[in-house]
Amino acid sequence: MQRSRWIGAGCLASALVLTSCTSGPAGVDAKQDPKATLELWTRTKPGGPGEQGTLKLTQAFEKATGHKVKVTAIFDDFETKLQQRAAQKKLPDLVMNDVTQLGAMNSQGLLREIDLGRIKNSKDLIDRGLESGKSLDGKQYALPYSAQASALLIRKDWRAKLKLDTPKTWDDFAAMAKAFTTQDPDGDGKQNTSGLAAPLSTKRGYASWYFSNFLWAAGGDFITEAGKGTYKPAMTSKESVEAMQWFRDLGCKDKSVQPGSVTMDTPPTNETFEAGKTGMFVVGPYLLPRFDESLGKDKYEVVPMPKGPKDATVLAEGGSVYLMAGSENRAGQDAFVDFAISAEGQKVGMAGDTGFVVQLPVNKTVDITQVRPDPRWQTYAEAYRTSGRYAPSIPNWTPVRQATADTVNALMADCGLDLRTKLTELDKQLAGILKEQGIAAS
Amino acid sequence: MSLDQADPAALPAAGPATRPAGADGSRKRGRRSGRWWTPWLFLAPALLLFLYFKFIPMVSALTMSFQDVQPYLGNKWVGTENYATVLQSLGFREAAWHTVVLAAGQTAGSMALGLALALLMEGQSRRLGFVRSAAFLPVVVPIAVVAELWRIMYHPTEDGMLNSILGLVGFGPSGFINDPDSSMASIMVTGIWRGAPYDMMIFLAGLTGVDRGLYEAAKVDGASRWQRVRYVTVPGLRSVFSILFILAAIRGLRVFTEVFLLTNGGPNGSTEVVMTLIYKLGLEQNRLGVGAAGAVLLFVATLILTVVVQLLRRRESK
Repeated sequence: MQRSRWIGAGCLASALVLTSCTSGPAGVDAKQDPKATLELWTRTKPGGPGEQGTLKLTQAFEKATGHKVKVTAIFDDFETKLQQRAAQKKLPDLVMNDVTQLGAMNSQGLLREIDLGRIKNSKDLIDRGLESGKSLDGKQYALPYSAQASALLIRKDWRAKLKLDTPKTWDDFAAMAKAFTTQDPDGDGKQNTSGLAAPLSTKRGYASWYFSNFLWAAGGDFITEAGKGTYKPAMTSKESVEAMQWFRDLGCKDKSVQPGSVTMDTPPTNETFEAGKTGMFVVGPYLLPRFDESLGKDKYEVVPMPKGPKDATVLAEGGSVYLMAGSENRAGQDAFVDFAISAEGQKVGMAGDTGFVVQLPVNKTVDITQVRPDPRWQTYAEAYRTSGRYAPSIPNWTPVRQATADTVNALMADCGLDLRTKLTELDKQLAGILKEQGIAAS
Repeated sequence: MSLDQADPAALPAAGPATRPAGADGSRKRGRRSGRWWTPWLFLAPALLLFLYFKFIPMVSALTMSFQDVQPYLGNKWVGTENYATVLQSLGFREAAWHTVVLAAGQTAGSMALGLALALLMEGQSRRLGFVRSAAFLPVVVPIAVVAELWRIMYHPTEDGMLNSILGLVGFGPSGFINDPDSSMASIMVTGIWRGAPYDMMIFLAGLTGVDRGLYEAAKVDGASRWQRVRYVTVPGLRSVFSILFILAAIRGLRVFTEVFLLTNGGPNGSTEVVMTLIYKLGLEQNRLGVGAAGAVLLFVATLILTVVVQLLRRRESK
């Protein structure tokens, strides 16, 4: 009797010991081995074109430098899996992930600072891109390998049928969306089309992500810099309120946003555009290969976003190379990021009709028209160069995106809500988030 | 587990069934040379699996719920801060209320529909077997497919599938999951559609245990069909009801997938449940400590619910 109790206690104790093992001392300086194989994690679907593209890039890198790279593609729960490796104190050497992950990864101590002096190609980087890899204190923690910005896709045949010009102002934009909704552009005699395709679900903050194209073009902001690396909420500023009102009217007054948008993330929204249910869509270039195949290249066109009340600012996004802490091959890490942003690396990354990892080049010396003669890419490159804007690298951007997505979603779903009250609530919530992250302006 | 299983093991004389075969002659020696571990040896594979895949993760989740989880820098103890974050987060109370409403609605709806289906499909006929399998299909279909199916059926315009049926009987198009007023009910209906056949199967099993003689006796006494259901079938299924209630309530509290796939808590937070909130706070924001705290809270709520139902049952059976 006694003994069996002891066994039970033993089990419990060992469980406790095993779990407490996981919290050891912080990242140790690993012994360097310049020949060690570099482990690279990339956030893309395993077996998909993204992985193929990454492999092409790493193979070119291996050939050029003699380093060895092992690529692992992970899509679902990428960040959680990275945490697990962090718990084992054995991070991959390199991570290729979204630029917006910078704050989160840096505040967890997962990154090592990049010495730009060792990355000779960094002088050719587009300034905007270089900036996107800096943390709030101005230190470089990541370098982008690919960029993208939003542009407007329009159903060309619909526009021709209704004899409309490409929109030059927000009024044109709204008028076109309304015409696509009410004037039966597909000519089937039924009112079954909508102007604008918009993923406005709260999932992953899509509503906020999509709305940022409009908010920024109006001169509004989610949070705005208040000096010395601090921020304050800005959703009740005059510009933000007007942007929200205008965007809301598209859905509530003109009814020109696709029905069901408030529960749709990107896959079902893409389908509405492909299926000829919607005629305008503000997206990045990564959807072009897909729409070329499903809808046909001749059916739609890519134009820059029309100027808003302030300018034509659109959301810039992209992928960055992160050099992870604790690597035993720092020279190899430097060499890889240097290759990825070099003219050669960028060209390898852009090659092919599908399975390219570089959307728009981040290297100034690379001319996109030479690699991709398709003028639509030129439009995207131009939008990025002149009007692209990244989300700020605050320690954790996700809560800001979630909170704003919830509000945008609410205002679009329920046309009876008072806009100002909702935005005031949102500002209060944002203030709390900023305070929690220690970057609130006093 | 340990006491129930350990008692007979530690006192081999008390439970001959647990003693290894052929131990008669060696009872004395067995006691001396540590035969006490034999049952543990048999249990070891299962215990080891439980230890690594259940108990250790549970304990570490509990530890994590008191920590700021930063695996690389080392976790920091923050006391009950994570719990405060969850409990004080905007909309936690609403989410808890939504969860209760959804759990209650789905449980009641599935049980009512399940019982009705079971009564309709009770019997031996071979054709019934086919119908039963067909009715059981929603349970077997992966939830991701179910959600996509219902999203199509819930299309918010007049030419949407359910809306065109509503149109036939003169009701205007409903927004279903896209309208904050009807989103919760829509998710509930999806849940009932999926849960009812499962309940039906358990009811069917329970129905075979109801004495046929009682039906005949009731019939002889002049009971109507409804009265037979009311006074014979339902009391006969009492234990089935309580099992189903516990299962459904636990399922209801943990509801996640259908909400996540259909609305992700929107529109305007009208369908936010505890699990989607935990997912947002903990996993999407990569704050695992907060996620763990939420999970522990949910576990405690489930535990309390189960214990209360058990106590009520015990009191009733006395």
